[in-house]
Amino acid sequence: MPLSLPMLTSLLTPVLALLGLGLAIGAVLGFVAKKFRLESDPVVTRINDLLPQTQCGQCGYPGCKPYAEAIAAGDVINKCPPGGESTISQLADLLNIPALPLDESYGQPGVKKVAFIREAECIGCAKCIPACPVDAILGAPKYMHTVIESECTGCDLCIEPCPVDCIDLMPLEPYTTPIKTVEELNNEEILACINCALCVDECPVDILPHELYWACRGNDLAGAETLKLMHCIECGKCDRVCPSSIPLVEYYQAAMQSLNTQQTEKVQAGNAKQRFELHQQRMETLKIEEEQRRQKRAELAKKGPQSQTKDTILAALERVKSKKKPN
Amino acid sequence: MTDIILILVGAILVNNFVLTQFLGLCPFMGVSGKVETAVGMSAATLFVLTLASAFSYLVFQYLLVPLGLEYLKTISFIVVIAAVVSMTEIIMHKTSPLLYRILGIFLPLITSNCAVLGVALLNINQSHSFAQSVFYGFGAALGFSLVLILFSALREKLALCDIPEPFQGAAIAMITAGLMSLAFMGFSGMV
Repeated sequence: MPLSLPMLTSLLTPVLALLGLGLAIGAVLGFVAKKFRLESDPVVTRINDLLPQTQCGQCGYPGCKPYAEAIAAGDVINKCPPGGESTISQLADLLNIPALPLDESYGQPGVKKVAFIREAECIGCAKCIPACPVDAILGAPKYMHTVIESECTGCDLCIEPCPVDCIDLMPLEPYTTPIKTVEELNNEEILACINCALCVDECPVDILPHELYWACRGNDLAGAETLKLMHCIECGKCDRVCPSSIPLVEYYQAAMQSLNTQQTEKVQAGNAKQRFELHQQRMETLKIEEEQRRQKRAELAKKGPQSQTKDTILAALERVKSKKKPN
Repeated sequence: MTDIILILVGAILVNNFVLTQFLGLCPFMGVSGKVETAVGMSAATLFVLTLASAFSYLVFQYLLVPLGLEYLKTISFIVVIAAVVSMTEIIMHKTSPLLYRILGIFLPLITSNCAVLGVALLNINQSHSFAQSVFYGFGAALGFSLVLILFSALREKLALCDIPEPFQGAAIAMITAGLMSLAFMGFSGMV
């Protein structure tokens, strides 16, 4: 059947209408995309803030920031041995993905370590100073070096460059308290909370003890903090009225302790990050300065050895003249 | 004024899109793990649904009806909805990147959320005016948000409960959703 004109127009109207609609929508979307263009990925910064900033490279990336970028691009979150389980659970919480156990092929989580230089054996070669990512080694060529303990992240990057093997990694004694952890408490035989709210009436500082108990039991520290965990004065009134005899205060103490450790770790990570950035800046300027010196030497060498000696002789004559003038 | 209030109450409670009409079940089960995400998803859906119902009304009345192309309404509504979702995605990526990452695949999936297309088509079927269409979309989104946030709060509590092994995970979520649906059936006949 040949195409007739009325058929063609009836076919063209819907096609043109949809085409026009599509073009209009495309123009609007193009405008919005241009207006809301992204300069940098803010997710990377948030991830980087959670990493321990040891800059140890055990994850296979050269530092914490590159690993943060890799995570934002979809890498797994369990490659950071120094951060251990707590970092993994915080990352999982931030990214809303299930927490994975630490991949031990990247290293053992273990205890926190610090580097220690056996000072009697140190020959003062200064090779370890540029290797330290957070500038925690103090020393100068031909003088004994030492490690600033509070700034050392225990990354072990200084061990390898030392020619006399005088650096050891010493485990830091873990800080122990008689407070039970949430896991230990969860393993005990405890009767269930029946939400009777007897504890609510007892609490002198107006927190919701049973709600707080649920948050602490689930290890939801952020939730516990919003439920005013830090307002608890540990008076134990809630403990005494609880018909299930739940050790509520012990739970709060455990949660407070992990919250505290988390916060100190965060502060330490912040310091390490700042020092790492300064270290990188320092390395950059050193490199540029050396490059400039090298260029200067090359230029002098180009002029030839004779011109150089001539220059020095002229300079010496100038000096003598200027010294004689005042007389 | 009264008809708009009636439309709002009807869309939020009586004919709740999720629990009574069973539309938009994918995000209802998918992003209800956490209250925070549920709030984000609700905000995104609220934005998309209201805009999409307004735009689809305009496209229908001022493009399709004059040209006699009413039969193209489904396909043009899908195009409009997809465009609004893309716009939301771009804006959200800039203004709240974490929410963008958390919502992930569910954000583009609003496109295929049948509640959105359902509202647009129901607006035409029930021959709503422009204001009525917008408020119907807004009400539907509010109903969706209400149910989603309630459900995610329930699921957060469920995560801490001692549930028998065969019921853990999706199973108990389905049972909870069924009970909520039963409760919402109680509103029927109110408007």
